[in-house]
Order: sequence, then structure tokens, then C-alpha cells
Amino acid sequence: MSLDTEKTPQWWKKKDVKQTFVIWVILTPIIGYVGSTVQIRSMGAPASETMASVINLMGLFTWVAAPVAALVGAMCLTTLLTKSHYGDNPPHEAENEIRNSPRANAIWVSISALLCLFALVVGLIVLQKDAGALTDKAAMNINVTGQQWVWNYDYENGARSSVLYLPVNKPVVFHVTSKDVKHSFWVVQMGIKIDANPGYVTETAVTPNKIGVFDIRCAELCGLLHAYMQNKVHVVSQADYDAWVKTNATTEAAA
Amino acid sequence: MTTTMDRPASAPGQSRRSKPLIERLNIFTALALGAISALVVWQLALHFLPQLPDGQQYFNREDKITLLSMVAWFIGFMTGIGALIGPFRWLMGKDLSHDENMFYAGKDLGVKRYFRYTTDHKVVGIQYLVMTMLIFFIGGTLAMLIRTNLGHPQGGWIHPQAYNSIVGTHGIIMIVGTIIMVTGPFGNFIMPIMIGARDMAFPRLNALSFWLIVAAAVPLIWGQFIGGITTGWTAYNPLASQAPLGMDGYIMFICIFAISTMVAGANITTTVIRMRAKGMTWNRTPIFIYGTVASVALALPAFPVFFLSQIMSAMDRALGTSFYDTTHGGSGWLYENLFWIMGHPEVYVILIPAVAALMEMAPVFARNPLFSFNIAVLGIAGISGLSVLVWAHHMYMAGWAPLLNAPFMLTTELISIPTGMLFLVLVGTLWRGRLWVTMPMASIFALLWNFMIGGITGIYLSDVPADAFLHGSMYVTAHFHYTLMGAGLTGALASLVYWFPKMTGRMFDKKLSWISFWMVQIGFNVAFMGMFLVGLAGQPRRVETYAKMFSRGNLITTIGAYVIMAGMLVLLHGVISSWRHGVKAPMNPWQAKTLEWSVANPIPLENFDVLPVVTADAYGYGKAKS
Repeated sequence: MSLDTEKTPQWWKKKDVKQTFVIWVILTPIIGYVGSTVQIRSMGAPASETMASVINLMGLFTWVAAPVAALVGAMCLTTLLTKSHYGDNPPHEAENEIRNSPRANAIWVSISALLCLFALVVGLIVLQKDAGALTDKAAMNINVTGQQWVWNYDYENGARSSVLYLPVNKPVVFHVTSKDVKHSFWVVQMGIKIDANPGYVTETAVTPNKIGVFDIRCAELCGLLHAYMQNKVHVVSQADYDAWVKTNATTEAAA
Repeated sequence: MTTTMDRPASAPGQSRRSKPLIERLNIFTALALGAISALVVWQLALHFLPQLPDGQQYFNREDKITLLSMVAWFIGFMTGIGALIGPFRWLMGKDLSHDENMFYAGKDLGVKRYFRYTTDHKVVGIQYLVMTMLIFFIGGTLAMLIRTNLGHPQGGWIHPQAYNSIVGTHGIIMIVGTIIMVTGPFGNFIMPIMIGARDMAFPRLNALSFWLIVAAAVPLIWGQFIGGITTGWTAYNPLASQAPLGMDGYIMFICIFAISTMVAGANITTTVIRMRAKGMTWNRTPIFIYGTVASVALALPAFPVFFLSQIMSAMDRALGTSFYDTTHGGSGWLYENLFWIMGHPEVYVILIPAVAALMEMAPVFARNPLFSFNIAVLGIAGISGLSVLVWAHHMYMAGWAPLLNAPFMLTTELISIPTGMLFLVLVGTLWRGRLWVTMPMASIFALLWNFMIGGITGIYLSDVPADAFLHGSMYVTAHFHYTLMGAGLTGALASLVYWFPKMTGRMFDKKLSWISFWMVQIGFNVAFMGMFLVGLAGQPRRVETYAKMFSRGNLITTIGAYVIMAGMLVLLHGVISSWRHGVKAPMNPWQAKTLEWSVANPIPLENFDVLPVVTADAYGYGKAKS
């Protein structure tokens, strides 16, 4: 190809680049909006700050990933729409001089490194917050014991139950263990999970901020009736909680 | 083996009535000897192993008997197929003669060579191809059982124990199937020709690696009849130590398969390093070769760990050791670490060759040079290197080492950089190309779509706080199906259509390849989008029943799964009908520039009469000659 500058416009003035740019501008918000909305709707309403931040993270990451996905999509679409050949024989070989482009490589790698760094920093900030909740001195402690295929909860006053009761807006630390095989203690709408290991105690913490009934499920295959190893957490007001601990827990412990 | 095709055939000896042992052994003698050995050892163990007094662990004696019988099967089968003849003759000081070696290579044996310990890499490649299809057929049938059971919230027509076993078996055999799906058929059949070699570096090891997989399959099937594999494919301890005897089938299966993978890895790596054609420098070596080598080289450190983890599991079950038993000083976390030190490199063992195969096809079907070969190599190397440093992201929620979550989050997210390089190479190659729209070309777009979704969801999962919600849910299941199936299997199916003319001498039926492509891709995306949604709504993995709120998403997934099944059956029909009476393929139907297209159909026994000399890389399309 000649070096005649009149015939080869600068790269951003080329037709396919312009087409790609237009498609990219259209695709980015569509991917970001659809991706984040569908995922956030599926996750349902959060029952704790922890879960709210998980939902925000998913939305944020989707929006940050959208331009990248849209760029790949736009380049594919442009090529596919303008350069397709059908038939039993291959088209002529492309008259392309681009075998490599140090500039494109450098930009691509730098942007992916920056996005990677961004994801890491955001993750670390939230992780730090979650880790801090474990050492909250004001938190109440509940011992959780998994066994095939039920959960049992021991409260600070010696009460025991097989359905979890929690007071609203009070930090709680779960000390989780197992009597037999590995289980995983998952309070779905509160966005926390920790494995229950036989012989060890693991910890996780949360502050429920909504009154209601939520799901607890086992998230680690634990044998025959793993699918049935689930029960409910009742988040109630402090007054209701105090009343419940006094009356119900002792009778359930005796049972 | 430096001879050419012109040597006289070993025909004269065939008129003799008594054939030498080497000519008698085949798959039937192997099955018979394996079965007899297993039965004999089973009876011996039953009679002579001492009964345990009451109070001892219940399974100990039965586990010993089962494992001993399975080891006997293994040794009997490998002896019966003839794996020991070479080493034995060498020990006796009577190494195999040239004619015997030619017999081993399957010379003039016709169809029979596919049922023997044949060393020709092309025969091994076809054997792997059929094996892979068989595995996908069985694994796919199991997947359909799972999806049918989950079509309705109550599920329930499969007993929970059988259901758990189906889930575990589906998992492990699909993992094995996807590990071998590219490096097995195409790494063995195509790779040596692509680098201009006459065979693999160690032809007998090549046969060994294939027949080890056949030997491994039987304990897994056997295990289904003695309680099944009820632990999921991960077989976590202590669940595995209380699982029924079928677990021993899993353990034997993994141990034998690990040996097969190590043998194949050493063989392929050596072949590529030592046997490339004259002039094929590393810069002129096709990118598919890099992918294959990266994959098997990654398996080399990974699978010994897998092997070891299962040996320790077997000892815990049968010999009363306590590697994984917390009450006697062991730890289940040890198992999880060993398992995932294998398990995370292993997913890239699956993915890299499939992506590399599509990178090999991209220049051919875009009629355009491969964009930035160096970045492609760097991407493959970067993924391989980082993949051994990320295993504990499977254990964020294990409670094993909370302080390590942050560093493992770092290494995991770093993998997105070399992965992004692979995207750049593919998109850059398509850019301004002239796209020849064929099924392999469409597969490149399908890979970009599926792998983009699999990759981005992987970033959510790598983030510890988000993983606290997502871990152990259907979201994870959907994510890794998007990477291993959406990206991996798509690459393997494209490879099948692309290399079919060279492997069988016939073109793959174009219409059938398109029908199956669209059915598999649409069905796949419907199925696993539905699975993402129920995962986000909170459905755990590996459950045989679920709350009513998940029923819509599960129904979508089940419908999608049936579409995939129909698409795969169309593909199977395409393979069989094209193989039997497809259009005869020209030497180079795609007008590609790699060496395997420069040999005639059918390919002669040692590929090349005169070994080729390479003067440029295979991507000199258009004006960009190099």
C-alpha cells in the first residue's frame, strides 16, 4: 500500500471505525442496564447492609464491564455485517497489513490492568468492612451447629432452637461448626455464608435490618438430604426477641 | 522408527497357524483378563482378609476388598491389552523387531487396529475421538436425567441417593471428557502432522495413555452398582469417607486417569519440543501447538496432586489412616487444598486448547493473519502461570484461612489480563478480515459471546464479598458451564468440523453442522441464563428439590437442556453419516497454511515421505507475507 496520506485517512476517520464506535455507544448502556437490572431483580430485596453492598457490587461491576463487552461486540458486529462471505469456497485473502499493533496491545493491556485494579480495590474495601463486623464487641453471639440434615442454634442465655430468631438492627456474630460432614451456613437474603467444618469453628457476622422471615440453606453437598437442609430465620423487634428467648427457647431445648 | 513407507509389509508370517502372542492381544483379551483377575482377587480377598471385630470402622474390610479387586482389574486389563509386552521384551533383551513395531503401528490391519494397543498417532487420535463422544453421550444422558428431575420443584422421581450419584458422575466424567476433548483427538491426530513429525516422541506411551482411560472407565461404572458416587465430583472429605463403596470406584478412576494424563502430558510436551520440522522455530510454531503444550504441561504438576489426594482418601477409607479425619488429627481442609491445587489449573487444561484451536481457525476463516502472535503466546503463558496460584478462591467460604482471601482475590482477578489478551487476538484477527461464514467461523463468535459472559461472571465470583452470597449456588454452576461448555465445548465442536476432512477423508455435512450449531448454542444460552437467575435468587447447587419460587428458572433451564440434547444428537448423526458417506474431501478444503493440510487423504502411515522444511509461519494471508 502506498504511503499517500490522501488515500489513507487517519484511523479514527475510517468507515469501519466509525461504525464500530456508533455500535459501541449504543451497546454499552444496553448491556450495562440489562445486565445489572436483571441480576439485581433476581437477587430480591436485601435484609442487611452486607447484602445491599453485594447487590451494589454486582451492579457496579456490570456497568464497568459493559464498555469492554460492548467493544468486543461492536467490533464483531461491524466485521460480521460488512465482511461476510458465504459459499463453498473461501473468499480472497484479506488485504490487511495489520499483523500486530503495539499501540493497540498496550492500550488493551493497560485498560484491563486498570479494570482489574479497580475490581480489586472495590472488593478489598467491602471485604474490610465485612471483616470488621467480626470483631464488633457489642454484637450478640450465636453458635450454629450443622448436622445431617438440620441446623441448631445456641443463644447466649443457654437457649437452643432449630429455627433462628434474631432481633432487628443488632449486630450478630455466628460461630459455626458441624457434627459430621462439611455443611455451609447460608443466610440468603443477608448475603453471608460460611462453611461448617467438623472440628473447627468458623465465624461470620451480619446486622439484619429488616423485620421478616428469611431463608437459611445449606450450600455444600452434605449427603442424602442436602436439598432439605434448610430452615428459616425470623427477624423480629428487640421486644419480641426478648419475649421469644424467655418463653420458647427453653421448651424447644427440652424437646 | 526412521523408515519410510516403502518397506515391505510383514505379510509372510500370517499364513502360519499359531500367531505370536503380540498378534493375539486386543480389547477382548484385555476385558477377559481384567474380569478374571478381578474375580479371582475378589474371591481371594473375601476368603483370606480377616474379619474385623465389632466397633471397627464399618467399611474398612469391604473397601479393602473392593480396592484390591479394582487394582486387579487394572493390572489384568493392561496386561491383556499388551501394554507390558514392550517393557517385558526389553527386559529379556529381545527388543521389538522392525516388523513387530510396524505391526504395533497398525500397518495393514484395517479396522482391527482401533481395537488394539496401536501406536500410530492417527489411530490413537480416532480412538480418543470416539471415546470423547462416548463420554459426552453418557455424561449428557446423566445431565438430562438431572434436568428432568429438576423440571418440577418436587422432582422426586429419582431417589436422592441415585440423584446425588448422577450429579457426581455427570460432573467427573464431563470433566474428564472435556479434558481429553481437544488434546485427545486433535492433539494426537493433528498435532504431530502440524509440526511436521512422523509420529509422537513415544508412540507406545501414546497407546498407553489411551488404554489407561478405558481401564479407568470400568471402576467408575462398577462404582455405580455398589452405592454410586454420592459426593459430587469434588468428593470432599469427610463426606467421601462416609460415602458408600462406589467411592472406591471414583478413587480408582481418578488414579488411573491421572496416570494417563501424566503419560500423555510428558509425551506431547516432548514431541513438540524435540520433533518440530526443520525451520519451525518457536515463532513459526502454530498457536494451536502452544495451546496443546500449555494444556498438557499444566496437567503435569496438577494431576500428581490429584492422584495423591485420592490415594490418601483410599487409605483413610481402607487402612484406617486419618489424613482428612479431624477427630484423629487430620483435616478436611487438607483435602480441599489438594483437590483445588489440581482443580483450578485443570479448568485451564480444558479451556486453553479449545481457545487455541479457535485461534488457529480464525486466520483461516478470516483470510487474515493472526493478530499479534506474541500477545497470543503471552496470554496462554500468563493464564498457565497464574492458574497455579488461584486455587484457594474455591475456598473463600471454607473458613480455612480468611487472611488469604485478599491475596487470592488478587491473583484470580489478575487472570483477567491474559484472558483479555486472548480476546484481543481473536477480535484483532477478525477485524478487517474477509469472513468465510462456516460453522467454525460462527463458533469463534459463539466463543466470544459465551466466554465473555463466563469471564465477567467469574469476576463477580472472584470478589470475596460477592462470593459470600454466590458461592455454592447455581450461579457458580452456570458460570463454569459457560466457560467449560460455552467456550470449551464450542471450540472442540468447531475443531471437529474443521479437522474432520483430514481425519476421515470426508467433509462434515454443512447443513447438519449448522443445525446442530444453532441448536446447541441457543439451547445452551437459554439453559444457563435460567440457571444464573435461580442462582441469584438463592438456589443452592446439587439439590434434588427446590422452593417453588425457583420453578420458572428451572423450567427454562430444563427446556434449554433438551434443545442442547437435540442439537448434540443432530451432531452425532452428522458425524456418523458424514463419516460413512460424506463428500470426499480435497487435500486442503479450507485453503489453510498449516502443515497438516499439505499431506494427502488418506494420510500415509508415517505422514511424510520427505520431512517438510518450514520457512515462514502459517499466518501469511493477504499482503502480510512474512
